[in-house]
Amino acid sequence: MDLKTGLVGSGSSASRKLDLVIAGGGPAALAAALYSARYDIDHIVLESYQPGGQAALTAVIENYPGIKTISGGDIVAIMKEQAESWGAVFEMASVISADPLKDRIQIKADSSTYMARNLIIATGAAPAKLGVPGEDKFYGRGVSYCATCDAPFFRNARVLVVGGGDSAVKEALHLSEFVSELVLVHRRDKFRAEPYLAEKLLSCKNCSVMWNTTLKEIKGDESVEGVILFTPEGEKELKLDGIFMYVGRKPATEPFANLVELNDNGTVRTHNIVHTSKENIFAAGDVTDNDLRQIVTAVSDGARAASAVFDLLQ
Amino acid sequence: MLSDNDAQEVRKVFGALVRDVRIKVYTQELECPTCRDTEIILKELDGLSERLKVSFLNLQTDRDEAEKDGVDRAPAIIVSDGTHSRVKFYGTPSGYEFSSLLTTIVDTGGSEEPLIEGTVQFLNDLDKNLDMQVFVTPACPHCPPAAVLASRMARYSSFVRSEVIEANEFPELSRKFKVQGVPRTIVNGIFFAEGSLSETMMTNALRKGLADDPSDETNLLDYLQNN
Repeated sequence: MDLKTGLVGSGSSASRKLDLVIAGGGPAALAAALYSARYDIDHIVLESYQPGGQAALTAVIENYPGIKTISGGDIVAIMKEQAESWGAVFEMASVISADPLKDRIQIKADSSTYMARNLIIATGAAPAKLGVPGEDKFYGRGVSYCATCDAPFFRNARVLVVGGGDSAVKEALHLSEFVSELVLVHRRDKFRAEPYLAEKLLSCKNCSVMWNTTLKEIKGDESVEGVILFTPEGEKELKLDGIFMYVGRKPATEPFANLVELNDNGTVRTHNIVHTSKENIFAAGDVTDNDLRQIVTAVSDGARAASAVFDLLQ
Repeated sequence: MLSDNDAQEVRKVFGALVRDVRIKVYTQELECPTCRDTEIILKELDGLSERLKVSFLNLQTDRDEAEKDGVDRAPAIIVSDGTHSRVKFYGTPSGYEFSSLLTTIVDTGGSEEPLIEGTVQFLNDLDKNLDMQVFVTPACPHCPPAAVLASRMARYSSFVRSEVIEANEFPELSRKFKVQGVPRTIVNGIFFAEGSLSETMMTNALRKGLADDPSDETNLLDYLQNN
């Protein structure tokens, strides 16, 4: 039986000065934590209430070098355990604000405040909403952004998956093991997902794909009962029980908007991979504008950011 | 059930226990496919620390005690210091639920108060009962913070009762509370929250919600967005 032995962290009401705050709890933050602990940097990791970030929600990971197959939850748990074994310090708290002081950054979390010499922003990204009518109303009532969490509620049901990237196709494959019928709608005429995943989905027996199709509206009374789609043949109504959205990600940069330059899409603008518009602030992982957003690139960013902080502190 | 590695990890975790933790496990023979696994897991846990005092009860034959503890379904696990039965887990503690159970054991028998000052203040000011039900699934990595927060609040305050419920094992209850996504927290049967809220968000929303005292089902987030 699969038993997860990692403990849930706790918050703090601390207020203190330190050399580094790492904001985030996904692979980029965990790698930064590991390297910072090994560099003996006085640090704290402000881990959000979504431990492991988006990576933890991935059912199967098959492209992390050195590990043939592992769940997202397990790989981030191992990363955290490894960082803790080197002395990384975690606090369960979300960053509320981050403001520049003369030679430090004041970072306010839920009930703690830190004055840090350096900051690594590794807050990742949350699933983007499509913004269609019914999406908010039926969140938790048939609309989901996490197949790993919610698939069992849709056993033998008919579901829709929206999206065409790696996440959409991977999670559709996971869902197909539970549902009776899965329809994936994608606004383009081909997948952006890895060819291997795309082929797997196209050969899935209870799956079908509607190309060049977008979601117009989600309908229902107490829970999802159907959708209206825009198809190349015009509007089409489908009766179904659930909708899983994978239409991109929204970078979690709100608390840092006045601190560093952001791109139009909300990501942190970086140069030399992890450097931001401020010398003592770094960004790593999905929160950046780096093009490839994978666990392998996130941990690389985290390590680079911690190394850059170490250099600055010398 | 626990691998050698798991057992080693848990032993290490239980090293933080400085006082005894009482655990009651309610199971039943019939119509409970997961009771046996729950019993085995708790028996194995029992052997990993002298601080754990686990007792096994039968929901059918130990009815009086079950009623006193407020347990009406199985498998059920109650974690406490022996003075109350406010912190309950329903369902097999597998996957991420195991993590929530372990954390609650350490919170109960550990030396540090895991709640932040704002939450402690909220609970000290509380003069109404809060019944919190948190629906979870074993594969949900974002469920433990919600489950543990409710358990911590119930451990601290005699006004709070928490039930962490494995949604798949109790489908009638999941249907009753319209659970189609997890974590889903229901408070007093009237307030609900989807996803894990931070301690600050939860207590701020509850403070406003209790003052508002709505008659219809209300999303706790509404209290944060409208203020």
